[in-house]
Amino acid sequence: MMLKNPLIKKYAYFGLIPSIFFLSILAYPFVQGAYLTFTNWNGFGYTKVIGFPNYLHAVQDPVFWSTIWFTVKFVIGSVIAVNAVAFGLALLVTSKLKSSNVFRTFFFIPNLIGGIALGVIWQFIFNNILTGLSHKFALPFFKSSLLGTTGGAYWALILVTVWQSSGYMMIIYITGLVSIDNEVLEAAKVDGASALRTLWNIKMPLMVQAFTISLFLTLRNGFMAYDVNLSLTGGGPFRTTELVSMHVYNEAFSYGHFGSGQAKAVIMFIFVALAALLQVGVSKRLEANS
Amino acid sequence: MKNTKKLVALAISSMVGISLLVTAPAHSAACSSRTKFTMEGTIKREIEQQFMSAVKDYNPSQSCYTLEVYPNHPSSDTFLSIVTPKYAAHNAATIMYALQEIPQMADKVIGWNGSPLAGLVPSNLLAAATIKGKIVGIPSTVEAFGLLYNKAVLDKAGVDPTKIATRSDLEAAFKALQAKGFNAIHFSDVWWSLGAHFMNEYFTHAGATSSARLKVLDSLANGSKNLSNDPTWNDYVATFDLLKKYSDNTNPTFQDTEFLNSVADLASGKTGFLFQGNWAEPNLLQADPKGSYGIMNLPMNNDPKGYGNDSIAVGVPGYFMIDRIDSTAAQRQGAKDFLTWLYTSPAGQHHVADAAGQNGAGGMGFIPVYNGFKVQAATYMAGAIAKYVGANKTLEWVNTYFPAGGQNIYGDLGQKYMVGKITAADYAKGIQDAWKGKPKTWRGEAVSN
Repeated sequence: MMLKNPLIKKYAYFGLIPSIFFLSILAYPFVQGAYLTFTNWNGFGYTKVIGFPNYLHAVQDPVFWSTIWFTVKFVIGSVIAVNAVAFGLALLVTSKLKSSNVFRTFFFIPNLIGGIALGVIWQFIFNNILTGLSHKFALPFFKSSLLGTTGGAYWALILVTVWQSSGYMMIIYITGLVSIDNEVLEAAKVDGASALRTLWNIKMPLMVQAFTISLFLTLRNGFMAYDVNLSLTGGGPFRTTELVSMHVYNEAFSYGHFGSGQAKAVIMFIFVALAALLQVGVSKRLEANS
Repeated sequence: MKNTKKLVALAISSMVGISLLVTAPAHSAACSSRTKFTMEGTIKREIEQQFMSAVKDYNPSQSCYTLEVYPNHPSSDTFLSIVTPKYAAHNAATIMYALQEIPQMADKVIGWNGSPLAGLVPSNLLAAATIKGKIVGIPSTVEAFGLLYNKAVLDKAGVDPTKIATRSDLEAAFKALQAKGFNAIHFSDVWWSLGAHFMNEYFTHAGATSSARLKVLDSLANGSKNLSNDPTWNDYVATFDLLKKYSDNTNPTFQDTEFLNSVADLASGKTGFLFQGNWAEPNLLQADPKGSYGIMNLPMNNDPKGYGNDSIAVGVPGYFMIDRIDSTAAQRQGAKDFLTWLYTSPAGQHHVADAAGQNGAGGMGFIPVYNGFKVQAATYMAGAIAKYVGANKTLEWVNTYFPAGGQNIYGDLGQKYMVGKITAADYAKGIQDAWKGKPKTWRGEAVSN
């Protein structure tokens, strides 16, 4: 038999099955998907390889570029807001509050609600409750729904994303905070370091891995966001709040442009991969320095 | 055109009692085993329970076939997103139902040419589903859109809808409503209303004959059309401006929730008019079962004899298609048997035409379009639509020929124009750009990338 070498045998047992899964459900569809962008695929099948027209069509579409720009703005806004809020919450619930366990649970709960349900709930809040309160008490703000304008809908998207995912990121930051050796913190205290100084010079450098993970996850979630986008704004008003995932979906499945839709998905993959590599690279350097 | 209109009239009036002999469904002989066939969704999600109760009656009514219905997808899923994975998996449903994707489906489904069921349908209702001479699908019903009104409110304001023949008559009616403290009209900002139905008001008035209208589509697809020079387009914009001026919809949210709110306002008597279609009637009747809601023409210019000023837009909302790639001959036979049962048997006809009741009771509330229909459409508005059809006062749904996804783009442009983000000239140019280079499916051209 060929499996004489014990290493190969071990690999066959423990490595082959995951590799087959990886190849069949990740690598093969990815390659197939990339290949289809060079054909005249119409969603049902293709008859010939045509080269680059799908990519040409994709990059010539002005809506695609405005979508990418909106997505980048959304990613920047949501990464900053989610991580700031999550880290703040983590500090809050690791401080010596009696009820910190209850708070942890409360802050985590929005993460257990699916994105679609969350979007629908908040759509109702923005459209009916806030405007209703504004009219009832003659408030100077929320007279019309935030979702009616592009700028308003942007902040609505950020707000709901923060609401949804800061609880989850909080857990990661808590793990980072509690893993710091108490002796280090006590030593800092004895040396007379203020709370802010301890946070900036001791806690944050020692938990840089938690930042790497959270930043990576929020970055990825930002680029891939679809469900909240779909149920909260639906891409409106006037297709100005479409994030790139929704744009790709609409291009293929609403307008029937499967080839250029798939080409846009490939372009989006390159964007996300570059952003993630850059972020992980920078974070690794920080980790090495700390 | 006149002849075909007469045929529609015949189809509708036939429900009053002309009975035609219909061939008995083919399953009168007992079968030894049942063939299972499938359908994608329940025509519309709003009538899911009513449709499923028809299926529940159909299956035990014969011994040859069992129809299994795939559950409706979320409304955000498009027809193409549902069927393309199934075709890739060689697992397409036997019966599918669509409208604007018919050109894409033409080579994947059976032709209905010469079939008894297609023979019962007025030929003009088959036109939109005919690709290069092949009848790709058969219609479910007709729907109509125009200005809906609350009869009680119009009576209180002394407005007689039958006397409104021009745009200035309409403005006078709006003023009369406002003088009595009512909101004159709700002009919907929902993309599908602006992009498909209101947009159609231009296209359907752009020519007095079907061939003249299709020439307008040709010139848009060729890129040779300049809308700003077209008097019909300018009338369309003027009508848009009029509705906007008198609309109570001053803070558009551009969300689908707006539809239900606008329907509630019409039912409660806050608003007199609403630009919508007869699909709003079940919601209206649910809000106020005692109300009377009519439908009338939207006059597009100030010529009382102008084409279409006295007519409402009537068309087929979707067609049934039977797959020919993944299904067996027996499954296709079952699919035909079910549709024949639904539209020709007394039990099926009740499921089709009876008014939809509360909590999924009743039928689907469809306006019958098949000859030989013996069950009458039930509601006030269905009666009003039948009257328009009977009097040959119908306008074509040119939106049936809109390219897939086109109505989303026109809807976005309409929303922008509604809030003043773009000028009328930008609106015209946006429409021209969206049409330029599109395949002429109305001439049988195939859709490719």
